Amino acid sequence: MSVRRPRWAGAVVATALAVTTAACSAGAGKAAAPAGEKSFAVGVTTYFLSHFTPGKSVGSNIDYALFTPLTTVDASSGKAVNALADSIETADNVTWTIRIKQGWTFHNGEQVTAQSFADSWNATAYGPNAMTNNYLFTGFKGYTDLNPAKGEPSAKTLSGVEVVDPATLRVTLTKPLSLLPYMLAQTPFSPMPKAAFTDLDAFDRKPIGNGPYQIDGQGLSAGTTKVTLRRFDAYQGQQGDAATIEAKSYQDEAAAYRDLQAGNVDVTLVTGNNLTDAAARFKDRLVQVPFPAVMYLGFPLWDERFSDVRVRQAFSHAVDRDTIVKSLLRGFGQPAKGLAGAGVPGGGAADCTACTYDPAKAKALLAEAGGWKGPLKLWTFQDPLNTVLLEAIGNQLRANLGIDAVTTQAQPVDQLYPNLGAKKIDGPVLLYMGAGYPHLYALTDQLFTKGNATNVTGYDDPDFVKLLDRAASAPQEEALGLTRQAAKVALDGLPLTPLFQPVGGLAHTARISGVRPEFLGGVVLASVKVG
Amino acid sequence: MGRYALRRLFMAVPVLLGTTFIIYLAVYALPGDPIQALAGPNRVLTPSVEQALREQHNLDEPLLVQYGLYLAGLLTGDMGMSLTGRPVSEVVAAGWPVTFQLGVTAWLFMAAIGVLLGTFAGMRRGKLADAAVLGGTTVIMGVPFFVVAYVAQIVLGVNLGWLPVSGTEAGWPLAYVLPGLVLALYGLPQVARLTRTSVLDNLGADHVGTATAKGLTRRAVMVRHVLRNSLIPVVSLLGVSLGYLLSGTVLIEGIFNLPGLGYQIFTAIPQHDGPVVVGVGTLLVLVFLLVNLMVDLLYGILDPRIRLDLD
Repeated sequence: MSVRRPRWAGAVVATALAVTTAACSAGAGKAAAPAGEKSFAVGVTTYFLSHFTPGKSVGSNIDYALFTPLTTVDASSGKAVNALADSIETADNVTWTIRIKQGWTFHNGEQVTAQSFADSWNATAYGPNAMTNNYLFTGFKGYTDLNPAKGEPSAKTLSGVEVVDPATLRVTLTKPLSLLPYMLAQTPFSPMPKAAFTDLDAFDRKPIGNGPYQIDGQGLSAGTTKVTLRRFDAYQGQQGDAATIEAKSYQDEAAAYRDLQAGNVDVTLVTGNNLTDAAARFKDRLVQVPFPAVMYLGFPLWDERFSDVRVRQAFSHAVDRDTIVKSLLRGFGQPAKGLAGAGVPGGGAADCTACTYDPAKAKALLAEAGGWKGPLKLWTFQDPLNTVLLEAIGNQLRANLGIDAVTTQAQPVDQLYPNLGAKKIDGPVLLYMGAGYPHLYALTDQLFTKGNATNVTGYDDPDFVKLLDRAASAPQEEALGLTRQAAKVALDGLPLTPLFQPVGGLAHTARISGVRPEFLGGVVLASVKVG
Repeated sequence: MGRYALRRLFMAVPVLLGTTFIIYLAVYALPGDPIQALAGPNRVLTPSVEQALREQHNLDEPLLVQYGLYLAGLLTGDMGMSLTGRPVSEVVAAGWPVTFQLGVTAWLFMAAIGVLLGTFAGMRRGKLADAAVLGGTTVIMGVPFFVVAYVAQIVLGVNLGWLPVSGTEAGWPLAYVLPGLVLALYGLPQVARLTRTSVLDNLGADHVGTATAKGLTRRAVMVRHVLRNSLIPVVSLLGVSLGYLLSGTVLIEGIFNLPGLGYQIFTAIPQHDGPVVVGVGTLLVLVFLLVNLMVDLLYGILDPRIRLDLD
């Protein structure tokens, strides 16, 4: 870590403001790493440092440094491979037998056993604990006993999670899901040691994990802007290179990027307008990060003006995705040909036939469907980039479909989603959706399955349901094909039209290498090489 | 004097109560739902978790009951729990030293530079220096605050590398120079201009003429007879400015990534984190009131006539 020393400011300021008090100068001390130790600093947003308990964590790169779940998704093959699991077996995709590797310990020396997983999962699944990742366990048998619609829970443990012996866990789901190994790759499915349960709040701030790095120092506290990680030398997996890592938190990615330029952090995720600047400034030290997400325009299927699929197709054909990506995103994005980009297992297919730019066809389709009546309102959530994008889309619709009265409106996220749920939105809505876990199935399920809170268009199609159900109960290879078919069916129905898959960048200093992105875009901390 | 101070202190109670209620109302009236904000755009909260969270934070109660529970907590010294699960008292304890250092730094800059420029301009009325001060302060007043902040950050911090760009790691005073300077610009024009006017008024006053006629040195006339009298209105402005500076910390701490009270409000508002906004906001109001009280008391020290009137 190199803090660039200001050249003249020190002396001048010290004389100008020689009224310093003891209180003022306290707390400035910087815990320097011992000489010779490899160390680097990473910039993250405060969101990444909100909670560390697996049940509340967001799945950031810090979480992955602190915890190692059962599986991990291999970036090159896109397959879920075992991490802490020795084997994961199933005959029917409902009942799973998971054997756990021996000899792995938590940072406090406690053995990681089947019980450690069961304890952690039960805590997250128990409704009154109010853990935000609770929803991940809805498919586990016994979930409703822990989360009744009314009244007190009748159980504190999931009946679908049984500890057979210290090395064996048996998981029972309510319906088949062949992609369970992908789900298990998320940090919310990490184990927790016994010590966690004596004080869950303290654990949240200073977790005892089982990952390649442990918390050094006090961990999270109010006003924390820095968390120090120290390499866990007893780690059984791939050891990290740096002995210590400083994770500094920022209000947003732009603030972190400014500090990267000033030389105070070594690597940070760059998004939005700063990407162009970073591409020029950092050149080959900017690693592209394809997010497993899609930016899409959703249609309010409850609005009768959108009930004809030809109208939706017309809208979809009227949007010039290439130009939007090239001019507004300066190339940092993949114009959508389908739901997910090639970076997501199952993605990369051109399963959206209406995603081509064809203004003539758009106009013809709209005319065929009886034309457009009345004003058109476009919606999105409050975000500087979204607002610009929505204006551009509005202009293209105006020009290509001949709709005169186009207006846009942005609402806070937490207002827009309830309004969508209540079907109060009266026009197409520009939204972002990230895959819950790295698989096309996750994105498809989140966007198109009826009853999912993230299915905002109200899409419901029996053919789609059948295909996705078949995908869930088929072996993994077959599931991939069936998921693609399901996605194709949904995109033919076109409740929403994908616009582009967002791309970010990891900019880094010359003193580190081995920079590659984690699922949410943060750098994989354990694989960074220093020097 | 003592009775006056005490009376003023008691008057602060209804003001504080009213403030907390208004801030509470404002947070409550924000469009959107705090629990939904907590989940973020990409996650789903299950009904059981939503219910548990609502109960934990009393969000299932009517507004007045919520506020009553909050007040009751305050009386027992409990500032409540932030929506993200940290005690607000902890947030405040961690944040105030940063805000205090920033506020003091900015205030010192504002007082020193403002008074200096004002006196300078006043003594050279109509000359180039005077015009420069008047013109410069007009420009400062016209440029939005955050623009100055970003430009200063990018030019002085990133491109020239003279000063830390963000964070408190460099300690006081270094880490606070850049944000302090930008924050000082907030009240600087007013201080400089008021000082200038005040100096001009006093330069033409009879007692100054008398003092000069008595053969006192120019220096003695300026310090004892012009500046001392000129500073009375300036001190009151400086006091009030400290309060405004505190409100400016919300933006400045957000931009410069300083984890103070302003930063906490900056992050808490979009999350509808009522307990944090109300707790920290009330604290800032309290400081504002105390500063005003101190200014009034300082008045009495500078001008005996005011002191005598008060008792």
